[in-house]
Amino acid sequence: MTRGNRILLSCVYWGFVAYVFVPLVLMVLMGFKDSKFIGFPIRSYTLEWYMGLFENAEVISAFGYSVGIAVLSTLISVFVGTWIAVLLEGRKFWGRAAIFGMTVLPALVPGIISAIAFRIYARYLGIEPGMGAIVWAHAVHNVPFVVLVVMARLSTLPKSQIEAARDLGADPLIAFLRISLPYLIPAIMGASIFCLLLSFDDFVRSFFLGGYEPTLPVLIFAKLKSGMSPEINAIATAALVLTAVVGVWAERFTRRMNKES
Amino acid sequence: MTYDASAREERGAVPAAGGDRTFWGRLASWAPYRALVQIATATPRRQFLILAAFPVLWVLTQHLGPMLQMLRVSLTDAYPVAPGTEQHFTFDNYLRFLGDSIFWMPFFRTLSFAFVFTLCTLILTYPVAYFLARHVSPKNRMLLLLMLLIPFWVGEIVRTYAIMILLGNTGAVNLVLKWLGLIDRPIPFMYTSFSMGVGIVYLTALYMLLPLYSALEKLPKSLNEAAADLGAGAWTRFRRVTLPLTLEGISSGCTLVFLISTGFYATPVLLGGPSTTVFAETIAGFFHVAGDEWPTGAAFAVIMFLAALVITTLFQKLMTALRKGDAK
Repeated sequence: MTRGNRILLSCVYWGFVAYVFVPLVLMVLMGFKDSKFIGFPIRSYTLEWYMGLFENAEVISAFGYSVGIAVLSTLISVFVGTWIAVLLEGRKFWGRAAIFGMTVLPALVPGIISAIAFRIYARYLGIEPGMGAIVWAHAVHNVPFVVLVVMARLSTLPKSQIEAARDLGADPLIAFLRISLPYLIPAIMGASIFCLLLSFDDFVRSFFLGGYEPTLPVLIFAKLKSGMSPEINAIATAALVLTAVVGVWAERFTRRMNKES
Repeated sequence: MTYDASAREERGAVPAAGGDRTFWGRLASWAPYRALVQIATATPRRQFLILAAFPVLWVLTQHLGPMLQMLRVSLTDAYPVAPGTEQHFTFDNYLRFLGDSIFWMPFFRTLSFAFVFTLCTLILTYPVAYFLARHVSPKNRMLLLLMLLIPFWVGEIVRTYAIMILLGNTGAVNLVLKWLGLIDRPIPFMYTSFSMGVGIVYLTALYMLLPLYSALEKLPKSLNEAAADLGAGAWTRFRRVTLPLTLEGISSGCTLVFLISTGFYATPVLLGGPSTTVFAETIAGFFHVAGDEWPTGAAFAVIMFLAALVITTLFQKLMTALRKGDAK
């Protein structure tokens, strides 16, 4: 590798870092602008937009709505996903490949098509647009991620531990609950955080399955369609800070748990 | 692996429930629970069926169901069915697609955009992945990768909005260009295929970066060194060693990014203009109005999904052929 190539490579790398970070930093900054109009240069700064968030009933209710949806859908995804992973991991049976294919299907369907399919199916099942429909769609969509993460962890569980438990008289359910499940906790935690973030930030499914009450991304989208303003920056920044903090914390947490076990 | 009860009994293991006063011990010795377990685990076959029933039912009804229902609706003339009328099966919804350029233009535009954006993402992230895997010490590698992951936790809408601020007429890029004296009046980046591209590449880069990174990280350095010892220059080494051996990563990254790119709805709405209408907007249009347009929307969604699947399958076949050709 010549010196020139090396410099070029690191330039591309830092350029990419800038591409990834600069837009978000600018967005956060713009929320401090002391003017109704979005745009540079920023001549004077204010905290008004960020402070205003705490009094904005619409934003607070959308925030709570999104968090509620994320938590409920994650609980369903984790339960179902773990069960599917236990069935699929390390077992050979007729139709396994087909079941695996169907399991990952929701993760591969492009966003708009998945939203449309869920919308049609919700009506078929008689689920009204609204919280229930969104929770259901997010739960189904996130199951594949749980399955993949839990399967990866389950494949490293020493088989002898389960056999020992069974030899000592544990039935399969207790052996699972007392041996496999504690071993899977780091993977389940990681997958849960991932599902929470996916659900909290999802737009397209929430948009097509939602009723009158908007989730946070849907609220931002609706506001954006009627024009940009520093208020939107403040809302978007709140969403950004929450996701980034949860994401980083989860990353550290799962790494620590992986190290310990 | 199933562990059958008879083998256990032969070895003389007995349930250790008797003296165990913990929650688990009490549960295991609780008569109704034991009876239930005995019934459920009487034969390995029954045990397996109990384990498999719920997952199979779930993936059939929840994962496959929506897709099949969409397919069914796309073949009907009215959905939902108005009372007193009959539902008929028809291919009209699919024929409607061919009949009007306002339908198939966005379709081909979406596919070509997705193709170009995928290529851009690949060209942009390959050097980044290469730099991370080759020029960063393993200790810092995770930290740098993690740093790049943080923005990708942030949602589609927020990141799209960030791009709007970056590229607007009074945006940061125009400010810098003006300040450098390169332009007098702002360049209208927004509402073009350019702004849409910047936004979509921004949203999908991670899905390319991670497969490429893991492919490059697996690649032993010694291969490159051997090629260098045999006199291959930097470019030849890249073209003959690194690139062929990372084809798998390229293939999965491109497939993912292509599939995801075809599915964006909000980003094209916010960053694109009238001349960049994508098929997602066309499809969505049928669901905003009264329900009787749903079959057409469903048919268009099926067309989009099939096209994306066919293209990615062909692409994967091509990549496999390339890999095999190189191995010879």
